[in-house]
Amino acid sequence: MVDIKKIVIAEDNSLLSSLLKFRLEKEGYKLLVAENGKDAIELIEQHQPELILTDIMMPFVSGLEVISHVRNKLNMLTPIIVFSAAGQEEIVLKAFNLGGTDFMSKPISPNELVIRIKRLLR
Amino acid sequence: MEINTISIFLIIRYLFFVYAITTIGSYIVLAIISAVETVAYMKKNSFVNYKEILSSNIAPSISIIAPAYNESLNIIENVRSLLSNHYVNYDVIIVNDGSKDDSLEKLIVAYDLVKVEHLINQQIPTKPLREGIFKSTNPAFEKLIVVDKENGGKADALNTGLNISQNKYVACIDVDCLLLEEALQKMIKPFLESTDTKVIAAGGVIRIANSCIIRDGKLIDVNLPKKMLEKGQILEYIRAFLLGRMAWSRLNGLLVISGAFGMFDKKIAIEVGGYDTKTVGEDMEIIVRMRGFMEEQKEKYKVAYIPDPLCWTEAPDNYKIFISQRNRWTRGTIETLRKHRKIGFNPKYNSMGLLSYPYWLFFERLAPLIEVLGILYFAILVVLGQVRWDYTAAFIIMAYLFTVLFSIVAILSEELTYHQYKKKGIGYNLLKIAFLEPFAIHPFIVYSAVVGNIDYYFNKKKKWGEMTRKGMTNPETI
Amino acid sequence: MNNNQYFFEYLQNSPPIIELVWFMIGVSLLSILILIIYLKYLRTHLRSNEKIRETYQMKYELHLITYLYSGNEEETISPEQQTIIDELKKDLSDSFKRSIVVATLLKLKNEISGELDESIQKLYYQTGLINFSISKLRSRKWYVVAKGVRELTQFHIKEVHDEVITLINHPKNEVRKEMQLYLVNLFSFKGLDFLDVLQTPLSEWDQIQLLEVLQRFDDQQVFDIKPWLKSSNDSVVTFALKLADIYIQFQAKEDLIELLDHKSEKIRIELINVLGNLNIIEAKTILKNHFIERSQQEQIAFFKMMEKMPESDDESFLLEYIHHENFEIKLSALKILKMINSNTFNIQKHKGTEPDFVKIVEYLENN
Repeated sequence: MVDIKKIVIAEDNSLLSSLLKFRLEKEGYKLLVAENGKDAIELIEQHQPELILTDIMMPFVSGLEVISHVRNKLNMLTPIIVFSAAGQEEIVLKAFNLGGTDFMSKPISPNELVIRIKRLLR
Repeated sequence: MEINTISIFLIIRYLFFVYAITTIGSYIVLAIISAVETVAYMKKNSFVNYKEILSSNIAPSISIIAPAYNESLNIIENVRSLLSNHYVNYDVIIVNDGSKDDSLEKLIVAYDLVKVEHLINQQIPTKPLREGIFKSTNPAFEKLIVVDKENGGKADALNTGLNISQNKYVACIDVDCLLLEEALQKMIKPFLESTDTKVIAAGGVIRIANSCIIRDGKLIDVNLPKKMLEKGQILEYIRAFLLGRMAWSRLNGLLVISGAFGMFDKKIAIEVGGYDTKTVGEDMEIIVRMRGFMEEQKEKYKVAYIPDPLCWTEAPDNYKIFISQRNRWTRGTIETLRKHRKIGFNPKYNSMGLLSYPYWLFFERLAPLIEVLGILYFAILVVLGQVRWDYTAAFIIMAYLFTVLFSIVAILSEELTYHQYKKKGIGYNLLKIAFLEPFAIHPFIVYSAVVGNIDYYFNKKKKWGEMTRKGMTNPETI
Repeated sequence: MNNNQYFFEYLQNSPPIIELVWFMIGVSLLSILILIIYLKYLRTHLRSNEKIRETYQMKYELHLITYLYSGNEEETISPEQQTIIDELKKDLSDSFKRSIVVATLLKLKNEISGELDESIQKLYYQTGLINFSISKLRSRKWYVVAKGVRELTQFHIKEVHDEVITLINHPKNEVRKEMQLYLVNLFSFKGLDFLDVLQTPLSEWDQIQLLEVLQRFDDQQVFDIKPWLKSSNDSVVTFALKLADIYIQFQAKEDLIELLDHKSEKIRIELINVLGNLNIIEAKTILKNHFIERSQQEQIAFFKMMEKMPESDDESFLLEYIHHENFEIKLSALKILKMINSNTFNIQKHKGTEPDFVKIVEYLENN
């Protein structure tokens, strides 16, 4: 059994997350979808994924908090790719300061995302 | 002698009748205006995508000021919900108003707070700080500012927040309120949209959260509570906010915006001296004062109103708290109207003096008293054997049916606009309350208003006890 | 029957007031009855609508994902995609379903780019949705027009530019706003040309929205704010100042300085902020010269400006203001003084006893 890499995606747009799930599962990853930061943190604690994708603007627990939680509370080095809306440079900087690994500005290109994921999980 | 008594009775009767007709008339007018305004508002905002906008730092800065007094139980969750607004350029100032519980300690642990150096431009005099000002070391909570001060009451805490805020606008809210994520975007809109009129404040709607399911600071499910008292208040709030406030905002005659959620132009709020710490009705008082100030400056201004259900809070679920809350509101109204009596009937203050103030005086302030007088008068007639029971019955039926009609119109306007009570059966339930509320809730409202009057005139001590202890649990005025 | 007769007789014998009261009772009862029936209908209708909406939303989301991943490289439209297009087309005649389709497309449209985005675009054309959007422009209802412009903006339909631009003087603010957003969203800085002819005020809300759209473009093309700085429309001037600030329009320096005597105080204050951010030192001397004649808000803004570019020869000017009655001016003056000459600051700090002064000094020493 080849070991399947797990990815947690936190994104409140259900259509986008199912689209990415569809795409990434074709690439052979296992996707765990959370609609908000809180669920994402639960999934991360439970499944110890190899990679985390998170949107910044999410209800209740923001993407920034997810990063902060993973790095400071769970002390995990899991790579994190952050999605942000255009024009949020400052937030992106904050995300990097907190320990975000990479970031993609929305609208995102799924193909590019796949390439970045492959590079990070090599 | 005989003729005199009869004519006096006749005059009194006609006075009551005229009052009743004016009340009904004003309600009809308000309902019509509100319908017009609601349609305009819904059309105007139907295609604004709030998610897309004001997510950058170009948008003006806002401070949320939330006073907290012994809120240890829920403070962590409440603060978290305040921090998760979709607006970007804002901070949250929690003013711990001399709480005797472990609110501060809990906040320090949960949000990694440390004490910071501070310099406050003390533009409004307030009680001094206690432990000082705290900020988080975790960048994820960089929006949070916690101020620990000596106890001085809600108004004093809000004033401290006004002094500390570095931002252009302030949103004053109750810490236990649940704000929806787009709340700030929607509230700031009227300030930014207006080009020729200065918007000095904006008021939001308060919805009742009793029995609603709230998880992780998010409103998951809207339910109708079980108790008659809670249901009655829901109907009352819908009536007041969707019909009353909406119409008054169209007339630019709002005299009160809810203390549980309102936004202000900070500069003007400070210029008028902030909240009055000597009244129990500080939320109404500050608006009346700010309006009076603008009228005196002869500047074109507006108090805006946002009808969207953005703020949800728990309403009293037992009669004891309910009565003391309404008692306080009554005293707040009396105090405000008395303090600003020079505005009433004064043409210098335009529609504020000639329309809003008199309306509040006659139909809010005096209504319960006139009702009681009517009952007393009726009792005298009974004793004197002067009652025409058939006429009396007709009047009572008319008044009753009209109240019910007005409530149903309010329910309909809620269904046509926000439709928050989606579940099957709630429609029937709301109708039932419309019919029962005049018997079940109304007497208590009148009772607490009368007691409020008595307390105001004969029991001044009561107020001082309350000023400091006043829990922040339910101070919203509708 | 008898009862009725009795009641009418009774009414006829009553005074007019009582007749009126009974009349109102009748009207209220009737209205209550009608409204209850309407309420019942409305609630049922809303509920079923919502269910239908959910079902269709799921259906269309599934369609969309299948559509997006069933494209192949050889053909422009694969057979699977054609089936979905045909099926969607059938539903479009129904305006309720059409609005759900549009919402579904948009839900993804703003979030993804690249091939998939192009596919969505293709779908918008192939299904004929574009024609529905364009026909909205000709509606008599202003909010339908506004919605139409919005849809065309969201789907980036550049070819209707000429038709959309005719709305520039539409009487309704909302329509004008959508038109402006259309121009800027699709033509970026070039779209700002409408400012040349804009007569109506551009609210702060509009300005922020336009700026947020502009921020999404990387091509910080050459655009010239100078004509806008001279506009007779104050809101255009304010907007130009914001552009000058964000896009560091240093080349408009002279024109900016000229504005220091603009009639609007609001503009002057905003201008002083911008001059500070752009580090235009020349403005300092000009402002210092007639400092006292300026309003207090301008004075405060000027001190904030000096904080951004402190120079040692400011010292004598600052010393005049360290005891100013205004807290912010005092704070600024002391802060800058400490920055440019800590010796003078240390001498001066003992020369004040007023509580605010002491407080500020203490704060500055600890930071």
